[in-house]
Formats: sequence, C-alpha cells, structure tokens
Amino acid sequence: MALLEVKGVTKQFGGLTAVNSVDMEVQEGQIVGIIGPNGAGKTTLFSCIAGSHVPTKGSIKFNGTEIAGKKPYDICKLGVTRTFQVVKPFANKTVLYNTTVGAFAKTNRLDVAEEKAMEVLKLIDLYDKKDILAKNLTLPERKRLELARALATEPKLLLLDEVMAGLRPSEVAEMLPVIRKINSVGVSIIIVEHIMQAIMNLSEKVYVINFGKKIAEGDPHKVVADEEVIKAYLGDEYVANSH
Amino acid sequence: MKFLSNVQTTHKVFAALVLAVLYALPIFITSPVMLQIFILIFLYAYLTSSWNFVGGFAGVLPLGHSAFVGLGAYTSTLLYLTYNISPWIGMIAGGIVAAAFGLLIGLPTLKLRGAYFALATIAFAEGLRVLVENVEKLGPFEVRGPKGLLINLVGNSFKDFQFLSKVPYYYIILTMLVLVLILTFFMMRSKVGYYLAAGGEEPEAAEALGIKVSKYKLIAMAISCFLTALGGTFYAQLVLYFYPKSIMGLDMSYEIAFIALIGGRSTIMGPVLGAFLLRPVGELTRIYLGDTLPGLHLIIFGLVLIIVMRYQPRGLVEPVSRWLNILFDRIEKRRRA
Repeated sequence: MALLEVKGVTKQFGGLTAVNSVDMEVQEGQIVGIIGPNGAGKTTLFSCIAGSHVPTKGSIKFNGTEIAGKKPYDICKLGVTRTFQVVKPFANKTVLYNTTVGAFAKTNRLDVAEEKAMEVLKLIDLYDKKDILAKNLTLPERKRLELARALATEPKLLLLDEVMAGLRPSEVAEMLPVIRKINSVGVSIIIVEHIMQAIMNLSEKVYVINFGKKIAEGDPHKVVADEEVIKAYLGDEYVANSH
Repeated sequence: MKFLSNVQTTHKVFAALVLAVLYALPIFITSPVMLQIFILIFLYAYLTSSWNFVGGFAGVLPLGHSAFVGLGAYTSTLLYLTYNISPWIGMIAGGIVAAAFGLLIGLPTLKLRGAYFALATIAFAEGLRVLVENVEKLGPFEVRGPKGLLINLVGNSFKDFQFLSKVPYYYIILTMLVLVLILTFFMMRSKVGYYLAAGGEEPEAAEALGIKVSKYKLIAMAISCFLTALGGTFYAQLVLYFYPKSIMGLDMSYEIAFIALIGGRSTIMGPVLGAFLLRPVGELTRIYLGDTLPGLHLIIFGLVLIIVMRYQPRGLVEPVSRWLNILFDRIEKRRRA
C-alpha cells in the first residue's frame, strides 16, 4: 500500500478549476517532486493534501485513512506536515521556541519538546542559531527554520512548498544534503520546486502539472524530455528543436 | 527547583526583595487612603494579568472585560444576599459563570480578527450592562436594576469577606496578584502557552503544526474570564455597594486594556508595571479633578498610549527590564570581583 494515495482530486474556486482530477502516489521513504509552470496548481494540490483547502472532488488517503476535508491540525497529528512557500515564522520568538512549538505535537512536556527541538536543529544545522529571534534570520535560515519546525512534529510525510525559492545557487547546494538527511531518517517527502537542479537531484519520481492537470509522471530525467512538458515550459516551437 | 535554574540569582533575589517590601508595607503605611490606592493598583494589576491570558497571549484584543468583573460581583453578592452563601464560595461560582459566558461569546467571536473581535466584546459588555440595568428580579434573586446591590455591614468577618480595616483587603488582593503571576509564569512555559503564542502570531502556520488554534483560544478565554470574575467579587466586597455602571462600565474595560498595552502585553510583569504607572494618575485626577473633569484620566491614558505605541510598541516593560538587566549585570560583576 502506498503511503499517500491521491485519486481524482479536483479543486474549483468558483468557475476556475485550479486542480483537475489529479492522481498521484507516494511510497514510503520516497522523495517525490511536483513541477509545473507558475499558476499550474501545485500549491493548491498541496493545500488539499495538507487540509488548508477542501477538495471539490476526489479522495486522498494517507496510510489507508481518508484525509480529504480534514482540518490541517488533524492531518498533522496523523503524520503529514507542510511548510509554506511564503515562510511564516513566529517572528518575535527564538529559533528554539519556533521549533519547540512543532515538537509539542507529540508531547505535553516542555523539557521533552525542547530536547526534540534541539535534536532537529542539530540535524538541519541550525543549532548554533537557536537563541536568535526568527525575525533576525536571513532568508535561507528562515527557510530552514520552516523545515525544522515541520520536522519537529515528527511527520511520516513532509510537504515542502518551494523551500529553495529565492535562494542563491550556493545556498541551494547547501539545502540539498539537508533534505536528503531528513529523508534518510525515514521521512517521505513531496517537494514542489521551480529549481530543476534541485528536483532532478532529489526526487525519485516527478509529477508534472499544467493548468491543473497532470501531464506527465515518472523518472525525472525521462520526464524532462517529454514533449508535453517542454511545451508547457517553453512553448510549442521548442518541441521540434529538441528532437 | 529545576524550572527556576535558568533564572539568574540576582533576579530571584530582586523578586524576593520586592515581595518582602510589599508584604511588609502595611506595617509602615497606616493611612487607609494610601492603602486603598495600593489595593486598587493591585486589583487592576490582577485584572489586567487575568485579561492578559486572552488579550496578551492569545493575541486578540478584548475590550469588554468589565462584563466579567460584573458577572463575578453580581453572582457572589446575589448568592450572599439571597442564600447567605459565603462570598468565598460565591467567588468560585462567579468564576464559573463568567467562564461559561466567556466560552459562549468566545465560540463565535474568537475567529474574528483584530478590531472585529474588540468590537464584539464591547457590544457584549454593553449589552450585558443594559440588560442588568433593566432586570429588577431574576428568579429568587433581587437584582434591583440600576439601583445596584448593597451588602449589609457585619463588621470583621472572614466568612463574610468583610473587614473594618483595609489591611486584610491589601493582603488578599496582593496574594491573588502573586498567584495569578505565578500561574502566568507556568502557563508561558507550558504547551498551552506555546500554542497560544503560535496561534496568535501565525494561525495558519500554527494549524499546519498540529495546533487547533480555536480550541486553545477558548481555553485562554475561559481561564481569563474565570480569574477576572474573582477580581469582581473582591471589588464588590471592598466597596460593599455597586451598580451596573460602576462595576461593568466600559471605562473599566478600557482602563484594563490601557494598562496592558502601556505596560506590555503578553509579558508577566507588563500588567503590574502598567498598573503602578497608570493607577495613581487615575486616582489623583479623580481626587483633584473628579468634579470638574470626570474621565480626564482616560484622556491622559490615551495620550500616554499614543506615545508609548509610537516609541515602545511592545510596552514599557521592555525598556524597564533592559535597564534592570544592566543593573543586575553590574551587581553580579561586582559580587564576583
């Protein structure tokens, strides 16, 4: 059984169909990428899985449990945690405080939560910043804090929404091993990203979405050679040249 | 104790010193007028600390907390006048009634953001006041509408929560204040405290981290209303006569909010600092200008608030604690040297 099974998920906002009957699957331990042009519906699909949106149609099963339409906090309790494209740190609190909030998902005790938070901060190389206020962090650090907080909830599946957007190439290069490290401790990951270098590097499987529809899926290297995908990204005239 | 281990020794010594001075104060101050001023400072510090649970930590701005002061005062006093139930028990009953009302209005309104929640709480408080003013009799209880309630004097009696001297009142409210501050301290270091802070600042991110924000805000509201009502009973027993406008008027709600905002919301000492700074101003303007310019203190508070918000948006507790820390560091260094 797949860890996450998305079947025929559709999300309409009034007359606009942002996600149109998308199927996808994530196996335990996998890193799965979702790519597609701006406005393709990637974040909306994400929000449906994480509970921020209720899908208009379709089913989303996590570990066999239907989660479509459940609230974000309940979905988090089941083991699915998301990060936000626009980072939302608790700005006036320290890095440790931010991460501890996440760790409270699995315990009621402050000392246990703090210990877990420090463990996570060490894992993603943010430990030496633990006493700094979140608002004083640089953008790459904030993105990493977003990750740390989500990871502290001990998810089985982590949804990363453009955690590398806005980073410099060298910073992206630093982020890749962090994500791989998270995966190696047994967390499955779905990653939405524009940076192809990152997606190609990390994911075992890629889904390509355009105008809300899935247009391709499979091995990342094969997918980028797909006609439909090139068309979606670059326009019709580039298809001929690529052959 | 382990939780105190990260608090500096000088801080502990300082806190103990302040407490000792406050508890010893009635030995030196015998004037009832002075004692009354201190009692009201502590009462407002207590009410604002109670308000802080929802107004500070849950990140919303309730502007109708006098309703819960009134609910506490009316519940305990009506129980006392009708069934001769000790106000100490009535106090708890009042707290429960206020918490129930708090949950009732919190349920639909706590999802409102910013000014809308504030407006809803004002409407509730004013509505309740007008309601009480128009009720003469409620079942077995003589509410007496705008005429208010008079508690008959029985002399010194702990059971009846009445004392001829101000000193017992002083100790009761000071102890209530200390207890609510200790509760605040523990709340801030608990899951509830972390979840409230997270939900107040970034509700969407908080929900993604497994926090049912509305549930924690309701918990905060219930705690806050319960504690506020205890203050209401204390106030009733202190003045022994009150009417809707005097105990559940909006000026009291505003004063609580002013004290919190000027002192510093969502901090332990902010409400205490605010009360010590603002209360004497209120008292002095009432004594000297009460006949000609009633309500002048609220205008002064408003001006102070504007200045504070402009230069210290997180309240005066921030610069004050910074100075204290500098002072403590110097003491610490000198001690080591």
